[in-house]
Amino acid sequence: MTPEQDKAPERSAEKLGVSIRPPGTCIPWAEKRQELGEIKGDEELVKRIWENIDALGYTYIWQVLLSF
Amino acid sequence: MTDAVEQRYQERLKRYVTTMRKGKPDRIPIRPFAAEFTAVYAGYTIQEVTHDYQKAFDAVIRCAADFDWDAVVPNMVYVWTGLVQAINLRYYAVPGTDLPPDVCFQYLEPPEDNAWMRPDEYDALIEDPTGFLYNVWLPRVSRDVVPPGQPNTFRNNMSFVLGGMAMLDYFMALGRQVDRLRRETGTVSAISGILKAPFDILADKLRGYKGLCMDLYRQPDKVLKACEALAPHLLHVAKSGADPAKNVPIGLWMHRGCIPFLSPQQFERFYWPTLKWIIESLWADGHQVLFYAEGEWNPNLKYIAQLPDLSIVYHVDRGDIFEVHKAVGNKFCLSGGIPNDLLAFGTPQDVKDYCKKVIDGVARDGGYIMDASAIMQNDTKPENVKAMTDFTREYGVY
Repeated sequence: MTPEQDKAPERSAEKLGVSIRPPGTCIPWAEKRQELGEIKGDEELVKRIWENIDALGYTYIWQVLLSF
Repeated sequence: MTDAVEQRYQERLKRYVTTMRKGKPDRIPIRPFAAEFTAVYAGYTIQEVTHDYQKAFDAVIRCAADFDWDAVVPNMVYVWTGLVQAINLRYYAVPGTDLPPDVCFQYLEPPEDNAWMRPDEYDALIEDPTGFLYNVWLPRVSRDVVPPGQPNTFRNNMSFVLGGMAMLDYFMALGRQVDRLRRETGTVSAISGILKAPFDILADKLRGYKGLCMDLYRQPDKVLKACEALAPHLLHVAKSGADPAKNVPIGLWMHRGCIPFLSPQQFERFYWPTLKWIIESLWADGHQVLFYAEGEWNPNLKYIAQLPDLSIVYHVDRGDIFEVHKAVGNKFCLSGGIPNDLLAFGTPQDVKDYCKKVIDGVARDGGYIMDASAIMQNDTKPENVKAMTDFTREYGVY
């Protein structure tokens, strides 16, 4: 991955005009949704599972900061 | 679990929770913050309880069973150094690796001119705290993590897998330890979840204490804005680990808010507004906070008194507990106040005499939990802990 590619997700989040990473979030659903194209099944299910997994990434860095 | 053990657990939970809500239970609950003391008592080295969390858990269970305490922290040797090495963190000295095996782990301040966050990076932190932690902070505090834009490495990849899996392993085991305390010894887990003050995060893990002190004069508005940016995240983390039943409090560990680190005026301006907001938000949601006032906090009592009644359990370390009781004893349950030097160097009779003085002075109407002033480390004598425990169980009956 080039440095430019590495920065891409952050730029796209800024373009959306949403808060980049509110509490509990690393990669917001709005940003992830753009990558997925047409969702043929239950979008709410995909969103819920994404947000649950993404929250683990948030827990990781903030727990390193606070607890370790 | 036998019915008798579960009944004992329920009695202890009721005693502990009643006291934290400033009620008068059957007797004063005993809830020592027993850290490396557990190693001394159970016959382990400091390295063993810091690096092998299963031994730390076993030592806590043994103390809980033998001393018959009402509540304990499931592992008060709170930094599992296995995870520290999985991420290869720079800011700890690890017993048995960096330190002799009988020395407690140490937190290392960053170099003054090369802190984990530089003085010109406040805007980046304020704009995106989580992004800053991943992209800037973690690559600096870990020897293995590389920053975005740099060539990737095997050790970088491994750091996230090992760190993530190790954290999962530890937190799952911690959950089992809470259950084990209940099933095996009928002991209540004293706290759930973690909170730190935004200012302490800046001082401890980002700018370092000296760097932050300079910032208070050179860029005070940035410090305030950084505290405001961190606060919603620290609230979120506190809530996510809190007791769903809202019985036991969230642990708040404070380091740099008291004299001599900050003057009361600096405390009022920089430390207090965002921490107060977090505590009020948690209490609005029904969560108490264990306000671990490490050091001498009495000059700040007038601010702490602004908090809603019952929103905190005020733990007294070096402050005069009788003054604390006079100032905020009508609002909050108190705990602690038995000096650690007495527990380390005094006699059992000295300890009993001091416990009597504290119980007579602050616990007549309930609302007091027996504990040492600060966490009990490896200088604490078992016979003095026994004296504190036995005396309170006998004399602390209402």
